[in-house]
Amino acid sequence: MQDLLRRYGTLLTAVFVILTAFWLLALVVLPNFTMLESSFRPYLPVTEIGGPKDVYSFGNYLKFFANSTDTSFLGMTFQMPIHMKIFFLTVWYSAIVTLVTFLITYPLAYYLAKVVNPRTLPSLLLLILIPLWVSEALRAFAWYIILTLNGPLNAVLVGIGILDKPVRWQQGVVTPYDAIMIGLVYTYLFFMLFPIYNAIQSLDTNQIEAAEDLGSPWWRTHLRVILPHAKPGIASGCVMVFMLSAGSLLVPVQLGSPRSLWFTQTIQQWMLEAQDWNTGAAYSLLFLLLCIVFVFAVMRIFKVNLSDIAK
Amino acid sequence: MTKIKPTISRRSFLKSSAIGAGALAAPAIVSTRVLASSGELNFMGWAGYPVLTEKAFPAFEAATGIKVKFTEVPDQDTMFAQGKVAIEAGGVDMAEPTIDRWGGWNSNGLLQPWDASKLAMDNYLPGLADGSAGERSRSGDQLFYVPSNWGTEALVANAEAAKLSNPPSLGDLFSADNQVVLRPHSALAAMGRWLDAQGKLPRPWLDGYSDMAAMTQLWDIALAEAIKAKGNVVQWWSGENEANAGFTANGAVLGLCWDSTGFNLRNDGYKYIAPVEGAFAWHQGFVLMKNAVNAEQAHELAKWVSTAEGAALWATAFSSNPVGKGAGDLLSPDVAAYYAGTFNDEALSKLWWWPEQSADFIAKRGEYADKYKAA
Repeated sequence: MQDLLRRYGTLLTAVFVILTAFWLLALVVLPNFTMLESSFRPYLPVTEIGGPKDVYSFGNYLKFFANSTDTSFLGMTFQMPIHMKIFFLTVWYSAIVTLVTFLITYPLAYYLAKVVNPRTLPSLLLLILIPLWVSEALRAFAWYIILTLNGPLNAVLVGIGILDKPVRWQQGVVTPYDAIMIGLVYTYLFFMLFPIYNAIQSLDTNQIEAAEDLGSPWWRTHLRVILPHAKPGIASGCVMVFMLSAGSLLVPVQLGSPRSLWFTQTIQQWMLEAQDWNTGAAYSLLFLLLCIVFVFAVMRIFKVNLSDIAK
Repeated sequence: MTKIKPTISRRSFLKSSAIGAGALAAPAIVSTRVLASSGELNFMGWAGYPVLTEKAFPAFEAATGIKVKFTEVPDQDTMFAQGKVAIEAGGVDMAEPTIDRWGGWNSNGLLQPWDASKLAMDNYLPGLADGSAGERSRSGDQLFYVPSNWGTEALVANAEAAKLSNPPSLGDLFSADNQVVLRPHSALAAMGRWLDAQGKLPRPWLDGYSDMAAMTQLWDIALAEAIKAKGNVVQWWSGENEANAGFTANGAVLGLCWDSTGFNLRNDGYKYIAPVEGAFAWHQGFVLMKNAVNAEQAHELAKWVSTAEGAALWATAFSSNPVGKGAGDLLSPDVAAYYAGTFNDEALSKLWWWPEQSADFIAKRGEYADKYKAA
């Protein structure tokens, strides 16, 4: 604060402080607090708001645990509340998306950071960035078109004789969530690529050469030298891709099959179709909370600290 | 559990600010009351339908000399909330909710009945203001609601590829022969009505709309049957674009969709067909506020919208169907031919009006839709 005052003077410092306070209070704390408050209240007709039925309770949160339905996962069949099932499926497929994104971006990031000629790097980065200029909605819709029955992918594959008849890619070939995962990997690739690229770039190339000089095969160099160094980048990339995927609404709505359901769609249904903003708020907070718990659990398993990511 | 009243909540803030806005507007309202001749009407209706202000109101003014002061609101809940403000602050003579919602207006003491002698009840097409729709427009023997326009949800079928039974039925949606595009909660209702028509339900499907215990009993059955037949669903729709793409991009041959979907696809080899069980239909219309200052003028507008000209303009504004006899001829020939091709008098009399669906019902319906989607 003293430093700030000395450097920028009273007026500018005041502006900084007021703007930051406005952002924190009006744009972060207040909306979330409103959501938290309304999530504990029942959804009532306009006439009964503030009336005797308008009391705080956990009722909206308990709906998450109601309504059992048959569930089968990896060959096991058991009863599970429908919305909990959708939550677990969302987390499961988001985790797969995160893993696939990592597998695609790690070699790419390594190539960009250490292998490629520095003079061609800007052109390559530009090529990678161009798709980001197109809105997420359009990119999801583009994949919808590509994967539809009468779409270009089927036309090409049937045309050159690889397929006998068109495949319903959007329905999913392996799981009902195939198309959603393709869309999410494509959309959030960059959120993994750049943190890993930054992390690998900061590794002294001499260390890689030293490992090679000492006779380490390429895979051990990656495992022992490069991966550990890139761990904070990988962790922050994973957290971002996972949270963005789990929280995505556009892609699952656009690319979902008749057998897929993303948790955000459930929240949207509470908010818009049922007009029950209170339960919608409860589900949103629950979703945020459970995703954070999941992320922290995974970080604990992989021994990553929050401060590593902040770097 | 104690009742905690927060100092400021979203809703109380909205309410007080809405009342505040009403209070600010009050002088204007008072002055118009004092100054205006009888040729004015304060009408609260739907936002986003510019044909109303561009064509319908000028035509009404030309016909009757009454000037419409239009308050636009985006949705039913806002309309209801504004209605409650207006009962204190004035400024609204009539409003335009849907048929399943005016009961709530009335139980809150916002409405007065229409005087049928000042309207022209014979103007309405059969099935719209009489029959079951007529019963649902009344409380006791008083008429509280008159229709303004209506729309349907029925079968959109590829003329060549869809395999329809004779006559076409809602059951065709659940036949493995047809690749279909559906809206989950409508599909479950269609399954329920199809089972009901075959006498396969323990009690009438309609019971579910008034009794939550009956609802779970009936929807459990419909859900189980619908899940068995789910293999032929190629896409869900929730809006116009998805429904359209389900047919054109994903190759569905049959669907349960809005009339607008059928209309948009009419030149691509698709037909819009009312199933033998009756098409799903919705209905929107006029209610008269209890404190209406311009009740006479309100009757004039309701009556005008039942005439051929008014009904046609109102239907054009909402891209929906007219309520008045003879209005069909005034629509563009394309539209007129399209609707006439689907709804003859028999299909009109069989229309199945969406019953009132309470908040509890819709929440439960959403859970069934989730189970159906995730199965």
